[in-house]
Amino acid sequence: MSALIEVANLVKVYPDGTRAVDDVSFDVHEGEVFGFLGPNGAGKTTIIRILVTLLPKTSGGARVGGHDVKTDAEAVRRMIGYAGQFIGIDIDLTARENLVLQGRLHGMTSQTAGRRAGELLELMALTDVRDKRAGAFSGGMRRRLDLAQALVHEPQLVFLDEPTTGLDPQTRLALWKHLEELSEAGTTIFLTTQYLEEADRLASRLAIIDHGRIAADGTPAELKAEVGGDVVTITLPEDADGEALRRAADALASFPGAGAPTVFERSVALPVKDAGRSLSDLVRRMDEVGVEIAKLSFSTPTLDEVFLTHTGERMRVEESTSRPQSSLSMAARRRGAR
Amino acid sequence: MIRTVTESTIILRRNLTKLIRVPMLLFFSLFQPLLWLLLFTQIFKKFGDFPQFQALGFSSYLMFFAPSVLVMTVLTSAFQSGMGMVADLEQGMLDKFLISPIRRSSVLVGKVVADATRMLLQGVLILVVALAMGARVHTGIVGALVMLVTAALFGVAWAGLSNIVALRTRNSELTMMIGILLTFPLLFLSTAMMPPGLLPSWLETVSKFNPVSYVIDTCRAFMNFRYDWGQLVKTLGVIAAVGAVTMSGATRAFRKATS
Repeated sequence: MSALIEVANLVKVYPDGTRAVDDVSFDVHEGEVFGFLGPNGAGKTTIIRILVTLLPKTSGGARVGGHDVKTDAEAVRRMIGYAGQFIGIDIDLTARENLVLQGRLHGMTSQTAGRRAGELLELMALTDVRDKRAGAFSGGMRRRLDLAQALVHEPQLVFLDEPTTGLDPQTRLALWKHLEELSEAGTTIFLTTQYLEEADRLASRLAIIDHGRIAADGTPAELKAEVGGDVVTITLPEDADGEALRRAADALASFPGAGAPTVFERSVALPVKDAGRSLSDLVRRMDEVGVEIAKLSFSTPTLDEVFLTHTGERMRVEESTSRPQSSLSMAARRRGAR
Repeated sequence: MIRTVTESTIILRRNLTKLIRVPMLLFFSLFQPLLWLLLFTQIFKKFGDFPQFQALGFSSYLMFFAPSVLVMTVLTSAFQSGMGMVADLEQGMLDKFLISPIRRSSVLVGKVVADATRMLLQGVLILVVALAMGARVHTGIVGALVMLVTAALFGVAWAGLSNIVALRTRNSELTMMIGILLTFPLLFLSTAMMPPGLLPSWLETVSKFNPVSYVIDTCRAFMNFRYDWGQLVKTLGVIAAVGAVTMSGATRAFRKATS
């Protein structure tokens, strides 16, 4: 595995003095799906625009495929595909014409571009509207067409800047599937997102970015492991007394491989390494000490917590597909316990 | 060189497809000139009978005014070019061109040639209407081609200015406003409405420094009188000078806007 993207001490200061990228370093290897997770204004788009040669850097190094993005921009452009945060399609051309245009711009012959356009229209479920003007497309169709444009010339590296922002849940899911297939086919993907769920699902490696700096990086699992393991919560029946709750807590305190239990209302929360494997043992233990269980639930740590841990704040984003409220409140309690 | 041709042809084809697909793009800059052609030639119809006017050799006001409308058309069309640039910026198409491995210059060359093609087509339409109204080109088809090409070349040079405005403001309304604000004084301060001998002397002096006058006078000479090659060479020089200034400015604005 060689580094396809090498970024070292990258700095971008805009003319108005804004330090959008502040000493950022990272590598992306061939075949990875590398995710940049951060809220609006974190510097994601600035970094991606520098890497795709649309924006000059202030200082530091940025190489794509071994080519300097500044001095060897053309070589970089030859190997990348890019779908920006803002969709770039010609609304007067048809879906197919847009794709062929992109292929031609990347040096493909009309025939090759046409054939490839057909494949991508199929993949993005746009075959039925291939000869319709793109201006008449819905937001989701435009997004799919834009993504197809980034893929026409079969680039080995694709940059996707918030590819699912503004999409409805179904389209988002379909797009995730496309990206997974693309990755399986060997394409390296550099992706930015402000959706935790998206980063979690797609990225093989993540960097959490806020205020122009990388706060943490690693695989989603590594990052989540950093903030702790799973939490199992045992809730007692409504008629349970304080004595039962105390018995439960005492029994759990000595549970092998678990952290310190926290008691609140009628529940006991227990941090464990692997909730799935511990559940049956936990139930047996409760049985042994004669505690009746009304409800048993567990939550795994989320990237939200990773983000919170590293930046001191929650993601500043409204999630359209947020996790269930219960696990959110669970996370909050757990932190209180530590 | 071959590379520039191949690359700019891709951009050209894209722009021409738009032109065919969206007739509004072709007719947008034609409404005002057509209105002028129809109305002014009526309002000033009797003017064509004045001995002072006839002494200059024009057979009618229409024959005098049609070349002015042709030049007005390319001036309006030139600002359409800037509006197209803003649209490409806003719709993210420019980014798509810039991340592809084609040269920056090819993007501009393709656009310029597409602009010229549009202006030629618009010029032909204006000329056809003028002919239908009773005008004729004394120098025949060759003269008509000279008129169209000269006007289109000037239009392209002027489009450079509109692209400077477009790239600096990134606002199509503002680009159109500034275009209109520049176009009308330029026409009124030229020989578009009145022949040089009939203008007040201060205006006549001003019109001599107005590149628009050169282009109109050339088209007028070819339409009304003869193959005036001397006038044509002088005008092409003026167009080249204007073009050198506007195009270098536009290229600079383009680099600045895209880096």
